[in-house]
Amino acid sequence: MNRKKGDKGFESPRPYKLTHQVVCINNINFQRKSVVGYVELTIFPTVANLNRIKLNSKQCRIYRVRVNDLEAAFIYNDPTLEVCHHESKQRNLNYFSNAYAAAVSAVDPDAGNGELCIKVPSELWKHVDELKVLKVHINFSLDQPKGGLHFVVPNMEGSMAERGAHVFSCGYQNSTRFWFPCVDSYSELCTWKLEYTVDAAMVAVSNGDLVETVYTHDMRKKTFHYMLTIPTAASNISLAIGPFEILVDPYMHEVTHFCLPQLLPLLKHTTSYLHEVFEFYEEILTCRYPYSCFKTVFIDEAYVEVAAYASMSIFSTNLLHSAMIIDETPLTRRCLAQALAQQFFGCFISRMSWSDEWVLKGISGYIYGLWMKKTFGVNEYRHWIKQELDQIVAYELKTGGVLLHPIFGGGKEKDNPASHLHFSIKHPHTLSWEYYTMFQCKAHLVMRLIENRISMEFMLQVFNKLLSLASTASSQKFQSHMWSQMLVSTSGFLKSISNVSGKDIQPLIKQWVDQSGVVKFYGSFAFNRKRNVLELEIKQDYTSPGTQKYVGPLKVTVQELDGSFNHTLQIEENSLKHDIPCHSKSRRNKKKKIPLMNGEEVDMDLSAMDADSPLLWIRIDPDMSVLRKVEFEQSDFMWQYQLRYERDVVAQEEAILALEKFPTPASRLALTDILEQEQCFYRVRMLACFCLAKIANSMVSTWTGPPAMKSLFTRMFCCKTCPNIVKTNNFMNFQSYFLQKTMPVAMALLRDVHNLCPKEVLMFILDLIKYNDNRKNKFSDNYYRAELIDALANSVTPAVSVNNEVRTLDNLNPDVRLILEEITRFLNMEKLLPSYRHTITVSCLKAIRVLQKNGHVPSDPALFKSYAEYGHFIDVRIAALEAVVDYTKVDRSYEELQWLLTMVQNDPVPYIRHKILDMLTKNPPFTKNMESPLCNEALVDQLWKLMNSGTSHDWRLRCGAVDLYFTLFGLSRPSCLPLPELGLVLNLKEKKAVLNPTIIPESVASNQEPVNSTNNHGQSVGFQNTFSNSQEEEEIDMDTVHDSQAFIYHHLNMLERPSTPGTSKEQSSGEMNMHPVSAAPLSVFSKESNSSKHSDHHHHHHHEHKKKKKKHKHKHKHKHKHDNKEKEKDPFAFSNSPASARSIRSPSLSD
Amino acid sequence: MADTASGGSGTRSGSKHATTPADNYYLARRRTLQVVVSSLLTEAGFESAEKAAVETLTEMLQSYISEIGRSAKSYCEHTARTQPTLSDIVVTLVEMAPVTNQPVTPKALTAGQNKPHPSHIPGHFPEFPDPHTYIKTPTYREPVSDYQVLREKAASQRRDVERALTRFMAKTGETQSLFKDDVSTFPLIAARPFTVPYLTALLPSELEMQQMEETDSSEQDDQTDTENLPLHMSTDDSGPEKENASVLQQNTSLSGSRNGEENVIDNPYLRPVKKPKIRRKK
Repeated sequence: MNRKKGDKGFESPRPYKLTHQVVCINNINFQRKSVVGYVELTIFPTVANLNRIKLNSKQCRIYRVRVNDLEAAFIYNDPTLEVCHHESKQRNLNYFSNAYAAAVSAVDPDAGNGELCIKVPSELWKHVDELKVLKVHINFSLDQPKGGLHFVVPNMEGSMAERGAHVFSCGYQNSTRFWFPCVDSYSELCTWKLEYTVDAAMVAVSNGDLVETVYTHDMRKKTFHYMLTIPTAASNISLAIGPFEILVDPYMHEVTHFCLPQLLPLLKHTTSYLHEVFEFYEEILTCRYPYSCFKTVFIDEAYVEVAAYASMSIFSTNLLHSAMIIDETPLTRRCLAQALAQQFFGCFISRMSWSDEWVLKGISGYIYGLWMKKTFGVNEYRHWIKQELDQIVAYELKTGGVLLHPIFGGGKEKDNPASHLHFSIKHPHTLSWEYYTMFQCKAHLVMRLIENRISMEFMLQVFNKLLSLASTASSQKFQSHMWSQMLVSTSGFLKSISNVSGKDIQPLIKQWVDQSGVVKFYGSFAFNRKRNVLELEIKQDYTSPGTQKYVGPLKVTVQELDGSFNHTLQIEENSLKHDIPCHSKSRRNKKKKIPLMNGEEVDMDLSAMDADSPLLWIRIDPDMSVLRKVEFEQSDFMWQYQLRYERDVVAQEEAILALEKFPTPASRLALTDILEQEQCFYRVRMLACFCLAKIANSMVSTWTGPPAMKSLFTRMFCCKTCPNIVKTNNFMNFQSYFLQKTMPVAMALLRDVHNLCPKEVLMFILDLIKYNDNRKNKFSDNYYRAELIDALANSVTPAVSVNNEVRTLDNLNPDVRLILEEITRFLNMEKLLPSYRHTITVSCLKAIRVLQKNGHVPSDPALFKSYAEYGHFIDVRIAALEAVVDYTKVDRSYEELQWLLTMVQNDPVPYIRHKILDMLTKNPPFTKNMESPLCNEALVDQLWKLMNSGTSHDWRLRCGAVDLYFTLFGLSRPSCLPLPELGLVLNLKEKKAVLNPTIIPESVASNQEPVNSTNNHGQSVGFQNTFSNSQEEEEIDMDTVHDSQAFIYHHLNMLERPSTPGTSKEQSSGEMNMHPVSAAPLSVFSKESNSSKHSDHHHHHHHEHKKKKKKHKHKHKHKHKHDNKEKEKDPFAFSNSPASARSIRSPSLSD
Repeated sequence: MADTASGGSGTRSGSKHATTPADNYYLARRRTLQVVVSSLLTEAGFESAEKAAVETLTEMLQSYISEIGRSAKSYCEHTARTQPTLSDIVVTLVEMAPVTNQPVTPKALTAGQNKPHPSHIPGHFPEFPDPHTYIKTPTYREPVSDYQVLREKAASQRRDVERALTRFMAKTGETQSLFKDDVSTFPLIAARPFTVPYLTALLPSELEMQQMEETDSSEQDDQTDTENLPLHMSTDDSGPEKENASVLQQNTSLSGSRNGEENVIDNPYLRPVKKPKIRRKK
């Protein structure tokens, strides 16, 4: 990545410029899950001697390639299919991660690489030298794709349309190469013509304008013709085909919504709000929506809830809801708003390189935040910011930092900015999914920090500038150099900021963007009465992983008797103490009201205060303008004042969390008061419920009166005449709805002196369930009922077990019997009257697992496994799988672990596969350094295989497997593997003795190769696999006669080859796919000049041997040069391939 | 006698075809009745009659006699006999009361004196109801109107119904159990995968659908007050398009230049599918 990001703008890593691409899919077979089509790329060479064109393509079976109507030879090589070749005993993650990063690099379009290499026919060389246009035409097909394109085909009677079968593109980051050959980069823009021929009962939704729809001659199919005239990256191309119901947005006729059959009423309701989001973004950006149309498609088995592509977004169908559903509504609207924000930044404006991703994610996340503020209010917005901040802080402290703008120097290991991580952050495709989520979170928080610095007005001006530049550029035809204006880079963005605002934000960028880590403050204070000064001490921890040192301004707000005062402290290297003069004398003037920050004046009961001090409370960095964690010490009464009187919801939430440590009657009173205050933000009140439960438990011996919150709940939600009966449901007031839902859940956490849930509380919850009556309610009560079940689960405490007796019905605790009764009824009623998103089933499954875990019910995964099967609603499956994962851990069950891992490999739903790995990582059956019967060699091999080759069709899944491997075994060699027999390995060829590489984590695999030789294979049993491989290759390598034999052999093999090389098991590891023109291989063979044939071939071998004997490598290179003196500028060495990169970088012990 | 009825319908359909013995009996009876009718007519002073008139009268007579027979049979069977007696016929004839006799309206039971009309009510108005209709008879127990009891009743009723229903379902179908030693105390209806799981999960039940319709209409009522009328309007309506256009003008969002003139929604997905061109050149 030697790209310069100067003022000149973008420099393409490719020796050509793509201007236009045609994608034509002629045939889609839902039964066979296959796709047939062609692509045609119009490219302009930018260098005279362009003789090879590298494109991205995965999974596709390529039949034929023509360049300007001339047959062209091509080679297919994808090192990511199998990251580490040959059955090495190397099983450490360090080794794998390096190899994986190198493999991804080797095909990275941003480095000018690709899996598919097309040789420009020699007849065109002259043409190319004149830099004239080339048209690359590729016929391809896809058979049962495992990634990139997802087929949903319900197993029932009827035509595909009647069954609701559909297909859509999906994937993590640039994954378009999975379904058609392209330059799968966000920085290679071109215009598009897209054609899809589908069954007449289906609709094909894709990017750009639908120009026309034409029947085929037999009138049984239709062809959808799309034109996308705005230059767009291939990675932003998408497709959804299915028997969709079509809804034209009644407010904006250019916007069309699509959903699966029968869901139209839900679609109408769900999208009825979208126009307001449009209006909002267009207004703040003072810019029209960039595309001439917008489409939303709601599909089943979605890869992610929201995926944004050029002029269309693909959503999960599970976001659809009716007007009766409360809880899902804000969530779905947030998804819609997110998708739309990404239309501007992410789709229309694309990124120059991966290291600029943070700008796009930051801006789209930031404007989405502005929309949140406008739609849900400042409280919700601040709460969200706090939540995101807490999340990123926790993640960075746990893992050691998230770097927004990774810049990579000379490729030395030492420079690796992410050495604390078990994966490379150099590519999106090597990132752990959790890291990427946190990356996005940090990006928008940093944008907010920039806003704090330069003001929102300037911020929006910058966005507007970026958009107008892009929009001017997009209307330019074929002036491809202009199109790079549509790409955003970090430097360009920063330059724009400094131009617009005139401010230097470099320190801010350096701190948060070029550097990872967050700040950890510890604060405490003392009041000096003599000097009337507040002595504030602020310490930092910048040595722990994930932290960094903060130097600069820090705002502190002090609420005194006389008012609230802001102070800006300068945090410097050595100064810990800061003196802040106080305004008020400690004498208090009782008659006066106390002015707050917002100008409000309130009466306070000041009796709790320290008589000597005028301080009510102190806040550090109240505006969250540093990415930090603050641990601040102040006395309990100060937190109580802060909770009662500070108007900022974040301060209130902080106070609630702090009060957990002060279980006193005063804290109880403050929390109860907040709970009752209707003006108080509902989330604060919800949080107060849980804090109150904790305090009540700590105070259990001195607690007086009924259980916490009971009388409050009775007063708020029960009938006046009969306080034991809850009112019939009326959820018109959402604030009280959320409180009504939460209070029982929190109450169920109450414990008596025996650490049991008080009988009174359990009966209270059971009564709530019994008297629940939703007949007169406008809204569904499914979430409420689900939370009542959650409450039941919360009330469960561990069973008192005598001598590990077997759990049977006879010795069932009577309280548990009551709970089980309810759960049984609820779960069974779900079969007759299912609730929205089956929330009740989900809660029941969770509750059953709690009962199992606490020893009331025999621990058994059978029930969960049945609910986890394909065919249940996804939420139910995940809840069930979570229980199985937990069971696997608690019962150390090898069988269940295997069952889960089988599902990871075979389940039809990509999200489920991902989620299982994710849940296993978060709740692992064991971790490294832990003795476990599950930790054995077979498991190591299995997981290794999974991440090495079993997940090559899904970046996210592979990274998930890496995460799991890391959690289970750590970075180095798993401890359960037997020690290698030999400490030393004799290298016969080089006559050296080296340490056995299998016990040196950092060493290079190639070291073990020298042991092998064709003459003495069988010497070591462990290496047999490698042997057979190398032997075969050895033979091919012999001489030209053998060469051509092998070549033909390959050709013949090719015809029977499965289309997805990565998924085929028989495929030998080092094998490479050289696809000749399948139509007439021999004729082409003869047509080709001898030299070029050889070069292809040699290249092929060269690659296979790159990590083998150096001697061979050398020989190849030599031959190569010899054969292609004139034309070969690039010796076509895959210098970026995993092995070579590795051998360059890491010091080999044998050298 | 029932034979007659069925025979009658039989002849109507097949009179012109070969006759059966039953048909012959029928025709014979019919002829006899016709003779009777004709002689009665002659007796009554008619000189001639149209065939249709004679036929109609014959039919009426036949029906009348048949009905007497059928009815008498019923009375006879009612008293558990098989042989009709004279009294059966008498009762029948009474019951079929010759039309000429006006039915005597039985005198209503009177109890006491009706209240006389006050002076301002004209005399032709109906009388006041009988005094006994004004009498209240208090029930011996108060009906349950206590809210608490009602709620309790409703709750336990629903619970019982739910439990019975789910138990029934569990008994009749496959079940799962939390306890290996006991499958009946907490029977769980077995989880069955769906072919299209999202439909049951997302679509409201019929019950909820009803509620939602009510909600929707009330929302719509709210909206007539504001300008957002076309929210729930389906887009293929061509009538209220003008309102649509005006809304679009307000939300200048997308349709900047095309407002006003736009009367028909021009969405490419609503356009008709084109016929293929005649044989493209290859």
